[in-house]
Amino acid sequence: MNSKINLSQLADLFAQISGLSKTASEQFVKAFFDIISQGVLAEGLVKVKGLGTFKLLQMEDRESVNVNTGERFTIEGHQKISFTPDAELKERINKPFAVFETVEITAEQAEKIGDDIETGYSEEPQSDTSEISDYTSEQTDNEPKIKDITQKRSTRVLLKLITWVLSLILLIGLVMYILWPIIGCKLLTMFDDKIAEKAQVTTIVETKSSLTSSSVTPEQSQNIEKPLMETEPIVNKNPESVVKEQEPEPAVKDISDQVVQQQFNLNREDMAKSVSLFTEADTVNYRITGKLAVHTVQNGETLAKISFMYYGTKKLWPYIAKYNKMSSFNNMGAGSVINIPKLAAK
Amino acid sequence: MNNKQFLTELSGKCHLSPEQAAEQVQTLIGVMESVWNNGDSVSLSGFGVLEVKKKNERVSVNPVTGVRMLVPPKLVLTYKPSSLLKDKLK
Repeated sequence: MNSKINLSQLADLFAQISGLSKTASEQFVKAFFDIISQGVLAEGLVKVKGLGTFKLLQMEDRESVNVNTGERFTIEGHQKISFTPDAELKERINKPFAVFETVEITAEQAEKIGDDIETGYSEEPQSDTSEISDYTSEQTDNEPKIKDITQKRSTRVLLKLITWVLSLILLIGLVMYILWPIIGCKLLTMFDDKIAEKAQVTTIVETKSSLTSSSVTPEQSQNIEKPLMETEPIVNKNPESVVKEQEPEPAVKDISDQVVQQQFNLNREDMAKSVSLFTEADTVNYRITGKLAVHTVQNGETLAKISFMYYGTKKLWPYIAKYNKMSSFNNMGAGSVINIPKLAAK
Repeated sequence: MNNKQFLTELSGKCHLSPEQAAEQVQTLIGVMESVWNNGDSVSLSGFGVLEVKKKNERVSVNPVTGVRMLVPPKLVLTYKPSSLLKDKLK
């Protein structure tokens, strides 16, 4: 990278590909460039197919100004060797930048871009006149070139990574699609088990809470009264003894604990009651005795909503579905008329 | 000196047929291209340096129409004759 390849190195590389011996390839490479330089000197023009044209140009005398002193002086006419690369070779070398195109821009944009470019590009006009500055700009020009190449590599790596990740996701998706019947069945059975467990738990809670509430409440009320009776005299005797003073605290704690427990029990009872109002078991405990009403379905209404409107609970919608002999609930569009059954407890 | 004359002279110097010489010239150019692709330059004493340079993007103005164009950056193969060769010109 960024090093100079000399004659012997170039001959080595050439020998590897051409199959010639080392000495023969070195001789060939040397002859190749000797003929070019001699041809340019002798005839002023050498065309090599695939590489380009070397030309001898006659430069006229011209005036120039010494930048430091401001003096005018003439650069004498001289001959110059120019090189124009072959059009195909030019294109191949510019391949990394081939994506760019010349763009027409407005004056404002031009000013903006011009400011950016000027800093890095100010050396360019000088390089035509003086050879020394050209050598220095040569070195500075190489650095951005390396940067460009490394940038290109990093983007390429990134693109590769993205394609890999995408293909991985696709593969996983495909596997899931193929195995879905098996996994889906398992998930469904697991889900069913959980629901069954929950139902069991609620029934247990219901029975427990009913038991505790019935048995504990009378005792608790007594318990609360008792400690209260006890604490009052002790509190009154406060100044008499230090030992007795300590007793009331746990007693008070007891009361608060008991009160909290009672409240908790009551809450649980309420909860159990509210749950028991709407358990699934209820939905089977009715039978259809007749027609209650005729309902025209509004936009956005569901069977559950309608059930809530007529019975006060969403859980009884299956009766409406059954009564209207609905096989699929999707065909219940807005404006369709359904019958609401009258329900009686079994 | 055009390509044909160049090849005959080269084949005479290296004891090859002109066809073989043409083939070898193309492989040599291919080798040099790979060198340039690596970011290296070909430097030969007595001839000069052939290397790829990056030209920055620039704004060019059409003097007739006054239309401003943003010319994109490009990679250009450049040749700089050696001082030895330049001395011979004088």
